[in-house]
Amino acid sequence: MKRAEALDILAAAKGEAVTVATMRAVADWHRTPAASERHLDAVGCMGAAAPLGLGLALAQPNRRVIVIDGDGSLLMQLGVLATISGAAPQNLYHVVLVNRVYETSGNQPIPGSERVDFPALARAAGYRSAQGLADAAVLAERLPGLLAQPGPTLIAIETDAEEAGTPGSAVSRPADAAGLLRAQLVGGSGAAAGA
Amino acid sequence: MTNRALAESIPARQLHAAIEALGVTHVLTVPDTHQKSLLASLRNDRDIELVTLSTEDEAICVNAGLWMGGAQPLVLIQNVGLFAAMNSLRGVAIDMAVPTCLLTGQYARDVTRPAAENRASAVRLIEGVMASMDVPTFAVDRPADVPLLAKGFAASRERRGPVVVLVGAPTA
Repeated sequence: MKRAEALDILAAAKGEAVTVATMRAVADWHRTPAASERHLDAVGCMGAAAPLGLGLALAQPNRRVIVIDGDGSLLMQLGVLATISGAAPQNLYHVVLVNRVYETSGNQPIPGSERVDFPALARAAGYRSAQGLADAAVLAERLPGLLAQPGPTLIAIETDAEEAGTPGSAVSRPADAAGLLRAQLVGGSGAAAGA
Repeated sequence: MTNRALAESIPARQLHAAIEALGVTHVLTVPDTHQKSLLASLRNDRDIELVTLSTEDEAICVNAGLWMGGAQPLVLIQNVGLFAAMNSLRGVAIDMAVPTCLLTGQYARDVTRPAAENRASAVRLIEGVMASMDVPTFAVDRPADVPLLAKGFAASRERRGPVVVLVGAPTA
């Protein structure tokens, strides 16, 4: 399925969750209304999305956190699967868009592109559940149920490799976005000194 | 001629008390050989959640997520791990302007020499590398220096960015 189609389905199911998106998912996520509140772009630091989401999930245990990761990005910090398993946040949902290429740099295949099984990696690391989905209708049908059960859950969505392009750029400065999310979650302006 | 120690062991309980006094909610660690007695002490603390991570990059990112969610995290790692985490230090702690206090053991330090004159490159280079990234460092080399942890923690909040607090000798 197309990445945008997958993200439309995810946006419809998001509810009140906090979201963290990275790389090529950023632009498509911002085309949905779901990115307008309680959202963070993880841009310029591949691999950061999942541990950022873990921190949010640990700080806000009563709120669902959805990470929208890429396969190449996850491979940058694959150890995070074990870290998330160890912390075991029941409110963390780790969506991985699996197109099996580094799209931003010209669609070079990721290492082991034909063989890497992301749900199997997550299950072996100790996620509570992990699913691989490739059909949009099946994703739309199953996603609400997956997001209703306790995490940590990995949802690997097989998407088409699309035209090579630049990484998604954040809609605001990273510092402003981080401060805004903090303000939305805990109050305050988010722009002033931190603690 | 005797080699006088330029850094002395600090009792774990003293550093633990300083961490408690900061209101720290989570300590994020890739375990540091240098601070193992402190880690053992924190492991028994029911009010501070000790989270073990696979990499120091993750520690900096989880710290950011916790801060955005309203928690008061502290990162506890060692110098070689800080070198391994340069991209997250830049792309998350600096670019996202996240208060990030890194309590960092000076693993492999020869305490009879100033840090800048150590043979171990991780010890010798760390302060200069941090300075090149505009990251302040505080050297906690003896029990009397422990208040510098609070100073460093406060500085990370005031400047909204990373601050490194270096622990010069293995904790006791």
